[in-house]
Amino acid sequence: MARKSFMYAALEAVQYEMQQDPNMIWIFELTPPVASTPGKPVINLETEFGRLRVYNAGIDEMWMAGCVLGASLAGSKAVTYIPYQGNQMCFEILAEHAGKLRHKTGGDAEMPVVFILEETGQTPGFAGQHSDYEIDSVYARIPGIKMIIPSTPTDAKGMMHAAIRDPNPVVFMWADALRTLIEDVPDEPYEVPLDKAAVRMEGGDITIVGSGGGMPEVMKAAEQLKANGMGVEAIDLRSLKPMDTETLVNSVHKTKRLLTVDQSYYTLCPGAEVIARVAENVEGARFKRIAFPDAPPPASPEMFLWMRPNADNIVAAAEKLVD
Amino acid sequence: MSENIDISTEIAATKQTPSTTRRKFLKAFAGAGAAVSLGSKIAWANGEIGFWAMDLTHEKLIWMYETILRMRWFDRTVADKMLTEPGYRGYNHMYPGQEAVSTGVSAALNNSGGVMEADLVYGTHRPTGHAIGKGVDIKKLAAEYDFRATGLNKGYAGEMQISDKSVGYMGADSIIGAGWVMATGSAFAIRARGSKQVVVNYGGDGTYATPHFHSALLNATLIKLPFIYVVENNLYHQYAHYSYSCPMRDIADAAGPYGIPGVVVDGQDVFQVYNVMKEAVDRARAGEGPTLIEAKTYRYYNHWGAPGAKAGELGAFGYDPLAITSFRPEREVRAWMQRDPVDICRNTLIDWGIIDQARAEEIEAAIRQEVAEAFAWADEQPFCKPEDGLKNVFVEGSVPARQFG
Repeated sequence: MARKSFMYAALEAVQYEMQQDPNMIWIFELTPPVASTPGKPVINLETEFGRLRVYNAGIDEMWMAGCVLGASLAGSKAVTYIPYQGNQMCFEILAEHAGKLRHKTGGDAEMPVVFILEETGQTPGFAGQHSDYEIDSVYARIPGIKMIIPSTPTDAKGMMHAAIRDPNPVVFMWADALRTLIEDVPDEPYEVPLDKAAVRMEGGDITIVGSGGGMPEVMKAAEQLKANGMGVEAIDLRSLKPMDTETLVNSVHKTKRLLTVDQSYYTLCPGAEVIARVAENVEGARFKRIAFPDAPPPASPEMFLWMRPNADNIVAAAEKLVD
Repeated sequence: MSENIDISTEIAATKQTPSTTRRKFLKAFAGAGAAVSLGSKIAWANGEIGFWAMDLTHEKLIWMYETILRMRWFDRTVADKMLTEPGYRGYNHMYPGQEAVSTGVSAALNNSGGVMEADLVYGTHRPTGHAIGKGVDIKKLAAEYDFRATGLNKGYAGEMQISDKSVGYMGADSIIGAGWVMATGSAFAIRARGSKQVVVNYGGDGTYATPHFHSALLNATLIKLPFIYVVENNLYHQYAHYSYSCPMRDIADAAGPYGIPGVVVDGQDVFQVYNVMKEAVDRARAGEGPTLIEAKTYRYYNHWGAPGAKAGELGAFGYDPLAITSFRPEREVRAWMQRDPVDICRNTLIDWGIIDQARAEEIEAAIRQEVAEAFAWADEQPFCKPEDGLKNVFVEGSVPARQFG
């Protein structure tokens, strides 16, 4: 157990899997697979495993995604880390190929592949293309692809192990804002299941559901509401597909109130799916979702920070729903 | 003339003869340029490129010097503000070192009349030079970089997304690749309506790897679009040397299989850039199709912001913590700074007798004053209203707020 960043924890899992499997490859651009943390050795996959296996590609994310898919079809475990600047370029490879190949081959195709798709850190001032947070529900809709979205270093490591070992194509959403998050993370390899939400706080008055880069604000709001005497059940989705309907339904059976929080746009945000699944299974509950408006993120920090849901918005919405 | 000729020696040699007549000097100078311009086989096959800059008016030549300085001092001011003013919110992908490219390009274009008349330019995420070359208002540009409501794009854009269609500047783009393809679309419209405009797309050396690069080249060639590709090869894409993504020394060689001109030009020399652009523009306006220009240039700063830079000093020599794959050795930065686009432009104009040293200094002082006033104006501008973030999604109205319960 040691203090590790999100980046270090995730790369520790990759390093272990690459040591176990000499065929496994890693394709990247812009972000070298390098991480350090106090008191631990620097991880550098490129120098440890060499450029035959760890390749710094040109700016061509369609190729990067196609490359790891093809590598997996040829029998090698393969992972690519696609920075947020290119996270929509690979859509066709995932939607038309990775998601459909097993089905259309009658189960013949094997694809032990992980597509790490970075989402922006939503840094104020970067504007539009560099501060959007929109691909979560885009990729979650594709059949045949698992879609995970860890929000803590511990989950990043455990879900990375599980994703690499999973024989299905997995999209690993990597919220850039979480990159430097630090907590105690076990040193030995372990798996966190790819289909279970995490109940981060238990309570009986309201269920608040978030995911990925939105979780720090959800937890900040949950702590504040709890301090004010509200019983908050805070749930971190962790996986958008498959979605852990059971955990969500059980929670709202108890609280009868559901608030979803998304950094993603309002229309068809993950929260919309959460509410639909719960509404199908729970009688007499009240629902509310908050999300980024259906507008591209503007550059001006005044506009952007007002539009992005924060802990204050979550607290106000929860109080209104419980009132 | 050998492709391997040492250009800097040649230029230095000509500089040592101030008594040389303008015409004689120009001949030597053109020779030096030709060695660079004709670096690719395609350009050889198309014949020697003329020294068209010699035909420009005094006003235009001085405009080129002023424009280079305006770009230089604009970005140096952003760098200094980033380094010294904790409250300054702007940032930049610094352009210094590359000013001769976009100045020489813009000097060959029509920069007024909006999208139906002006020559159109699609830029990259290193946009200061592209925008200033096209003639955007630098007061509004400074305000936009600091996200003010009266900025060039009303605070919606920030540095990486600026645009001004009134001067034909179609915009910066923080995602690499698609600009090439969209620019060919603008060229298609121009060809279909017969409006004689041309379209220029700037791309960095990293764009060579994108599928868009090859798609744009192919389609522009097949239908002879009025289209000019300007690759600013500053040796590094993001944090990797361009050899990581391009197998050729000269990206201009990509023109070869298409049979279109692929020209390598000294991107530090504004007059050389103008010369090749003039020919490319003439060719495009005449309906003869696209040209690929590769300007060999260099950025004095790291990929983004001002890491390694010191306030009041040009360039960044420190180690960039993000540059893990390739970092720019200090020796390399200093070597390129020996061939500075400001110096080359100024010394040439002095050698030609267009201006003297005293006039050159006056011009620089005036530009520095203009830039300082632009940033002072920007500092006084109002911030954006938060709720305006819901506007401009569609032409009409605004979208609902969804961030509240």
